[in-house]
Amino acid sequence: MNVLEIKNLTKKFSDFIAVDNMSLTVAEGEIFGFLGANGAGKSTTINMIAGLLRSNEGVINILGKNAAKNSRFAKMNIGMVPQDLAIYEDMTAYENVKFFAGLYGLRGQELNERVEEALEFVGLQDKHKSYPNSFSGGMKRRLNIACAIAHRPKLIIMDEPTVGIDPQSRNYILNSVRKLNEMGCTIIYTSHYMEEVEEICSRIAIIDHGKIIAEGTKEQLKSIITNTKDLWIEVKSTEKVNVESIKAINGVEAVQIDENLIKINSDTGVNNLNKIIEHFINSHLEIRSLQEKAPNLETVFLTLTGRNLRDQ
Amino acid sequence: MNILNIAWKGIKTDFRDTRTLFFMLAFPVVLMLVLGSALSNTFGNSLPVDDIHVLYQDTSHSDNFNQFIDAAEKSGIHFQKVTETINPQNEVKQSKYDGYVEVTQQGLQLYVNNGNSIEGSILQGMLTSYVDKYNIASEIMKVAPEKLESAFTHKQKDDFIKETSVLPNKQPGSMDYYAIVITTMIVLYGAMSSSSLIISERVRKTADRLIASPVRKSEIFIGKVLGSLVSNTICVLLVILFSKLFFKANWGNHLGMVILVLLTEIIFAVSMGIGLSFLTKTSAAPRIIIMLFVQLASFFGGAYFKIDNPQGIFKFITELSPLTWVNSAITKMIFANDLSAAIPAVTIHLTGALIFLLVAVISLQKREGL
Repeated sequence: MNVLEIKNLTKKFSDFIAVDNMSLTVAEGEIFGFLGANGAGKSTTINMIAGLLRSNEGVINILGKNAAKNSRFAKMNIGMVPQDLAIYEDMTAYENVKFFAGLYGLRGQELNERVEEALEFVGLQDKHKSYPNSFSGGMKRRLNIACAIAHRPKLIIMDEPTVGIDPQSRNYILNSVRKLNEMGCTIIYTSHYMEEVEEICSRIAIIDHGKIIAEGTKEQLKSIITNTKDLWIEVKSTEKVNVESIKAINGVEAVQIDENLIKINSDTGVNNLNKIIEHFINSHLEIRSLQEKAPNLETVFLTLTGRNLRDQ
Repeated sequence: MNILNIAWKGIKTDFRDTRTLFFMLAFPVVLMLVLGSALSNTFGNSLPVDDIHVLYQDTSHSDNFNQFIDAAEKSGIHFQKVTETINPQNEVKQSKYDGYVEVTQQGLQLYVNNGNSIEGSILQGMLTSYVDKYNIASEIMKVAPEKLESAFTHKQKDDFIKETSVLPNKQPGSMDYYAIVITTMIVLYGAMSSSSLIISERVRKTADRLIASPVRKSEIFIGKVLGSLVSNTICVLLVILFSKLFFKANWGNHLGMVILVLLTEIIFAVSMGIGLSFLTKTSAAPRIIIMLFVQLASFFGGAYFKIDNPQGIFKFITELSPLTWVNSAITKMIFANDLSAAIPAVTIHLTGALIFLLVAVISLQKREGL
C-alpha cells in the first residue's frame, strides 16, 4: 500500500515555479530520502505534503485519501519534524510534547502515556521537567522529534533533523529513525549529509529545479553513473588550477575542488589518465596523492545536477 | 477542545513570563502609588485659611460695629483700630493686613488687597451680612420698633445657608483617580503582548507545527485571543483587588459593571494588537505603533494628570483617546452611580475591536500558514 502518492504536483510563487509537475509514490514501510539543493523545491514539496502550503495543481493522497479533501485525516496520520526547531522555550520538555500531542485529540491517561513514550524514545525521559533553554543542540533536536511522534503517525516527515548537532546525537537520531521504521512508520527523510541518506534510506529521489530527476534505490541511482569514474587528486595548492582546462580534457565530465582535493568525474570509456597527469605537470601543480573512487550518492548528485549538495 | 488547549497554554506561558508580570502587575501598582501620593494635593476639596487681620476706623458713634467685631473675633477675624501713625490703605497694599474697614454714619467701606483673595471674599461676605442685618433692623425700627428685640433674639439662627454638595463626599481622591486611570492605561498596553500572539509562533517556527496538526486556523486564532483575554482580565482583576485592599481605592458599588466596561476595553486592546500585527510587515512595527498610541492616549486621556474641562481643539484631541471615554465612564459609574455612562465607552471598544478582528481574520484567511 502506498502511504503517499503525489500526482502532477505544481506550486508557483508568482512567476517562479517551485515544484513543477512532480509525481512520486512512497510505499508503506519505506525510508524515503529526498535529496535536493537549496531552492530545488524539496521543502516546498514537503510543506505541501504536510498541509502547510496549498498546491496550484496536482493531487496528494495520504493512505489512499485525497489530502486536500480529507485534511484532518491526512494531518492525523502525518508527523512533521521541521528543519527549524519548533518548540516552546518557556515550556518544559514534557509540556511541549503534551501540548502538541493534545492537538491530535489525545486526552487524559492515554495522552500522558504517549508523552512519556515519546520522551523515552528520544532519550529525554530524565529531562522531562527541564526547559529547552538548558538543552544542548542535539537534545533540542530530539525534543523536536518527540513532538512529532507522540500521536503515532503513519508517515513521518523529517526535514534535515540532524543539522548542527554533534556526531553522538546524530547517531542517536539516525538509530531513532531506523527504530521508528521498524515500528511500522513510513519516513520521508531529507538531509544535506549524503552519507546519512545513503546509510538509512531504502529509496531516494533527487529533485532539481522543482522536478524529480532521478528516483530509486541507492544501487539503482549509482548504476546511472556506472559509465563514469571518480579520480581524486590531492595537490599542494589549488591556486593554479584551471577547472575549465581540466574539463576540456577528453572524457572529463565534471570537476570539483574541495580544499586541496580536485575531484574529477570522467568517462570510463576514455583512457585519459595520462593526459590529466600531464595537464597537472604542465600547470606546475604538485601532485601529492591520486586515487580512483567508486561512485557514491554524492557523485550521482553531482553528475545529475552539476552541483554539490552542501555548498549551495 | 483545541481552542481551550491553545488558550490554556497561552495563559500558562503569560504568567511564567516575568516581564509580563512586571508590566501588567507591578508597574501599575507602583505607578498608582507614585502618582497617587505625589499628586494627592491636587485632589483636595478643603482649603485652609489662616486668621484674618483687619484694620478699622469707626466714626459712626454707634456700638453696633463693636458687637460685630466681638462676634467676628470668635471666627478668627481680628480687628485693630487705626492709629494716627498708620496709613491703613498702605498697610493693606503691603499685605500687612487683609483688609481695612471704614465705618461712618453713611455706611461701610471695605478695602482689600486683592478682590479675588479668599480672605477678602470672607470679609466681604461677613460685612455684607452685617449690613443687611443692620438695614433690616432699621426698617423694623421704622415700622414696629417694639418687635425689634424679638426679631433678633427669637430662635436666633446662624445657619441661614445650608451647603449641600451635588455629590456629597463622592469626589475621587488622588488614589481613587489613579487607580482608575492607571488600570485603564495598563489594559490598553495589553495590545503589546497580543500583537505578538501570532508573530511569535512564526518567529519560533511553531506556527508550522500548529498548522501541520489537525487544528483549523480559526481554532488557533480563537484559542490565542481567548488566552490573551483571560490573562489580561486576571491581571486587571488583581490590580483592582490590590488597589482596593492596599490603597483603599474606591471602585464603587457597581464593581460588576465596572469590570464589564474594563472587559470590553481588554477586548479592544487585544483585538487592536492582533489586528495591527496583520497590518504591518515587521514584528517590531506593531509594538512601536502601540507604544506611541498608548502614550498619546494616556497623555490626552488623563492617565498622568487630571484634565478638567478641556476646551476647543484640546477637548477634541482628548476625545480621540479611548481612555478619555473609559475613564469618564468608570468615574461616573463609581462616583455618580451613572451606569448609562458606560454606553459610549463600551460602544467605542466593541466597534474598534470588531474592525481590528475583521482585519485579522481576513488577513489570516488570505495567508498560507499562520
